[in-house]
Amino acid sequence: MNSLYAKPATPRIILRPALATLALHALVIFLLAANWTFSDERVVKPKPAPKVINATLVTLAEAQPKPAPKPEPKPVAKPPPKPEPKPVPKPVVKPKPKPEPKPAPKPAPKPEPKPAPKPVEKPKPEPKPEPKGPTAQELAEQARQEAAQREAAAQAARAAAAAAELAASYASLIRQTVEQRWSRPPTARNGMEVLLSIQLIPTGEVVSVSVLRSSGDTAFDRSAIAAVERAGNFPELKNLPPREFEQNFRRFRLLFRPEDLRY
Amino acid sequence: MEAQLSIVHLIMEAGVTVKLVMLTLLLASMASWYMIVQRFIYFRNSREDMYDFEERFWSGIDLSQLYREGNERADSGALIVGMESIFRAGFKEFSRLAKQSEMDSEAVIEGSRRAMRVAMLREEERLEKHLSFLASVGSTSPYIGLFGTVWGIMNSFRGLANATQATLATVAPGISEALIATAMGLFAAIPAVLAYNRFSNRMDNFLNRYDTFVDEFSSILYRQAYALRSRDRKAG
Repeated sequence: MNSLYAKPATPRIILRPALATLALHALVIFLLAANWTFSDERVVKPKPAPKVINATLVTLAEAQPKPAPKPEPKPVAKPPPKPEPKPVPKPVVKPKPKPEPKPAPKPAPKPEPKPAPKPVEKPKPEPKPEPKGPTAQELAEQARQEAAQREAAAQAARAAAAAAELAASYASLIRQTVEQRWSRPPTARNGMEVLLSIQLIPTGEVVSVSVLRSSGDTAFDRSAIAAVERAGNFPELKNLPPREFEQNFRRFRLLFRPEDLRY
Repeated sequence: MEAQLSIVHLIMEAGVTVKLVMLTLLLASMASWYMIVQRFIYFRNSREDMYDFEERFWSGIDLSQLYREGNERADSGALIVGMESIFRAGFKEFSRLAKQSEMDSEAVIEGSRRAMRVAMLREEERLEKHLSFLASVGSTSPYIGLFGTVWGIMNSFRGLANATQATLATVAPGISEALIATAMGLFAAIPAVLAYNRFSNRMDNFLNRYDTFVDEFSSILYRQAYALRSRDRKAG
């Protein structure tokens, strides 16, 4: 700095800011470009016993062949291997064990739970005389509050369980509907499964379907997607409370795994 | 099977105007980040330099010794900025004026103060470099983004006029793509505004410190100037 009035010079800081800028923007673009699949999607496992039963009216002519094969295999299968004298001891043996276990467990648990709650309830009135008036009242109040809290917790747990059950039943409904619309490609084998991601809107319409985990067989994957698209919408979902819908069905993962394949 | 619309795909599909807007915003964002990081490093360096120099200055070192040390560094190519450059400007002017015996002490002090003032203005210039750019990115890029969005939505609705059956699916991609411009504008603007506020605040702090230093240093020079002149009077 020979002259005070020389051209003002500033220290050159170029490399680090340039690198930092490029790194930051590359990161942002990468994050945006990466197709996010949110981790809070849940796979709702369908329950075998749905609350929502999909009933279809069947004419008797159609219904007849169905019940026919069911009773047939049982009498046909059982009598041939077993000789005639055996059926006699069977009815004798069977009724005996049945009544025995039934009365046995029933009286046993009944007396047990009854005394259990009683000692719990009894200590509550006991502390009342020991401390002074207000404390007894407070204790009673506390006990009531605790009971209310327990009640609320239990209710919340029950509600959660009910919600989960409801979700599971709807999930199994969706799965059933999809399986009905499914046409089996020739390459399908037993045990194949494909994980589908279905986007739904609250009216139950399918917005998009994509494969999350392929079964390894493209024809099978395509047939599963086609089945969902053929189903098109699940109007039953309209009955679902909105919160439940947002939680479980907005992005719904369906494990498509037909089990009734013969080979 | 239609996968979810990806953002990259949306950007590629956008119209020319919207693309231009996005490009402008991307450049603005990159430039403003470059300046943010650059200012950050510069401010950090000059704060450290300032503390180091203050410590040396008040350690009781001989001031002409300090000035000579600075000379050596300046000769070896180092750029002297910050508080030290103010000190050097003031000290240089003082020693030059003090040699002229016809100058009285007031005039000497006044001259060196003026030199320090000029050096301080230089420092201010250095500190606030790029800050105005950050301010304008912060204030205009939301508007630029908004322009892109309005343009994109305008177009997507105009396209809808020809369609006989209007569904949400025909407008939604256009609107979504147009809104990216606003998002980018905000992405550029928010850091710029935050950085501008922070840096202008820190710049004020620096200038306050420099101001204080100028006053302290000129009080030292006062003492020296009076001592010098009274010695001259006794001698002459």
